[in-house]
Amino acid sequence: MAADRITILCVDDEEIPRTLRALILRKQGYQVLTAASGTEALSLLDQNSVSLVLTDQMMPVMSGTELTKRVKAIRPRLPVILISGMNEIPADASCADRFVSKVEGPDVLFNAIHEVLEEARQRN
Amino acid sequence: MNDNDQANILMVDDQPGKLMSYEAILKDLGENLIPAKSAREALDQLLRHDIAVVLMDVSMPEIDGFELADMMRQHPRFQKTAIIFISAVHLTDLDRIKGYKSGAVDYISVPVVPELLRAKVSVFAELHRKNRQLERLNRELEQRVAERTEQLRLSEDQLRERADLLELATEAIFVRDMTGAVLYWNSGAEALYGWKREEVLGKQVHDLLKTVFPMDPHQIQEILAKTGKWDGNLVQVTRTGEEVTVACRKALKAGGDAILEISRDITSQLKTEEALRKAERLAAMGRVAGIIAHEINNPLEAITNTFYLLRTHPSLDEEARYYARLGEEELLRVGHITRQTLGFYRESRSPVAVSIATLLDEILELQSRSMDAANVIVDRQYRSRRTIRGFPVEIKQVFLNLIGNAMQAMPEGGKLRLHVYESRRRNRQHPGVCISVCDTGTGISPEHANHLFEPFFTTKSVKGTGLGLWISKGIIQKYGGAISFRSMSYMGQNITCFQVTLPDAEVPMLSEAGVDASEEVEVA
Repeated sequence: MAADRITILCVDDEEIPRTLRALILRKQGYQVLTAASGTEALSLLDQNSVSLVLTDQMMPVMSGTELTKRVKAIRPRLPVILISGMNEIPADASCADRFVSKVEGPDVLFNAIHEVLEEARQRN
Repeated sequence: MNDNDQANILMVDDQPGKLMSYEAILKDLGENLIPAKSAREALDQLLRHDIAVVLMDVSMPEIDGFELADMMRQHPRFQKTAIIFISAVHLTDLDRIKGYKSGAVDYISVPVVPELLRAKVSVFAELHRKNRQLERLNRELEQRVAERTEQLRLSEDQLRERADLLELATEAIFVRDMTGAVLYWNSGAEALYGWKREEVLGKQVHDLLKTVFPMDPHQIQEILAKTGKWDGNLVQVTRTGEEVTVACRKALKAGGDAILEISRDITSQLKTEEALRKAERLAAMGRVAGIIAHEINNPLEAITNTFYLLRTHPSLDEEARYYARLGEEELLRVGHITRQTLGFYRESRSPVAVSIATLLDEILELQSRSMDAANVIVDRQYRSRRTIRGFPVEIKQVFLNLIGNAMQAMPEGGKLRLHVYESRRRNRQHPGVCISVCDTGTGISPEHANHLFEPFFTTKSVKGTGLGLWISKGIIQKYGGAISFRSMSYMGQNITCFQVTLPDAEVPMLSEAGVDASEEVEVA
């Protein structure tokens, strides 16, 4: 599947990091949708065809792992990547397909996305 | 009856005329005269008054004088009461009078000579008064003795009670004279210091206990002399050589010839407090570190992404792109530091079995190309294949750091020796593995040795964060292990060896640093 046919839903409550993350993903050729909260993300999922969810962990109201669990409840096969600025991995991080630290740089993130999409493709 | 009171004089005669004449004779004595017309009446008066002397006619109807005297002598109260018989001279009477052996008894014959009667009565009255006075003084004395005895008994009881209390006290209590010699030593002191009373009496107490004072002992003496008391913490050594910290109160005894010392063992209390403080500090540090990490990491990601966008922007020429690339790389290094220092990054939540040998091989594999380039020969001897429960990333970080340091110490080439063997240091209940990493590089100078494990200490002026060994030590401590090093010169060659001991024990899940891990520094 070509990158331009892949839509990533990028979730972060903070605008600048969210926008920049969306920008680097678009540079890679992905289609990117953005959401500022878990609730918004869930409603966007309803209306759009999304191949992967990339969500921040530390968000008010609904955390990244909570969003992941709700996404998996609706669409078990949809891959989710958790991204966090915390050094400790959250206890229930295993609900997501990958956990990526924010400070690892774009290449690590791209690799993770690539791997997760590849795994999803093989599953389907 | 007071000393100067009138004495009661009982006059017994059945003839009122005689009674009247006795009264007339004795009136001038100034005593109290009580008449009785019969023995019966006399007995009645005797019971009612304290009679000094009984003047009685021998011949009376019903009960005569002798019978009355017999009756009186049978009564304990009247056994010593003076009796003066008045009688006509009959031999039989005289014999009977002599028969009264005890008690004051006298005899006057008729006709009565007034002066004689007065003199005899007066003597007996005076005698009675003196007796009474003596009795009163005796009573007073006895009472005073009784009171004093009671007081003594009470204070003795109090003393005994106090002594019992001193023995009951869990505090070590002792009294010493001004030269320091022990005068008293309670059972609390025996329990705390392990020395028996009989062993320490007369000994120099602070020599015996190797007391370390918080201030100059002379100063303490001065304070004691001035205020009468002093308190502070002392460090002392018990009989078994154990060091104890005690909260000590000293008081100068009244009279100033001895000092009372009461000491409470606060060793474990201090240890607990210290451990608590340490735990609190660590917890607080952990929280702060987590917050700082988050606050740094978030903008860091945004900036890194900005640099990525910059360097991939089509408007940029090759040179500008190169600069953006440099910036991005440096930012990744910052991220690496926050990850290393502000909480350890773990890929799994629970520890797994880590094979040290496999892990070392992986590191060597990674470094093999640069080792060949630097002309470094590797000597590996794995005598233990023991696995350690832990987080591979953390353990890998330790040895990546140690091997990296060794490589950097040998830019001109040399020998890297990696030995893995069973730990002998730990006891059998906690077996473990020992890993030594030795190089023949530039060595470690003695002035650097003491700072090696401090944060931000580096000998690599340009490269290096100065955090590598500090972080490694932190990781090893968390595993309950130890790290030590020695640097020596052998046949003109510097040999630097780092030795890491890792016990094969359960690793705490959270990243609290080990409290009892040791750090040994040895420079030969």
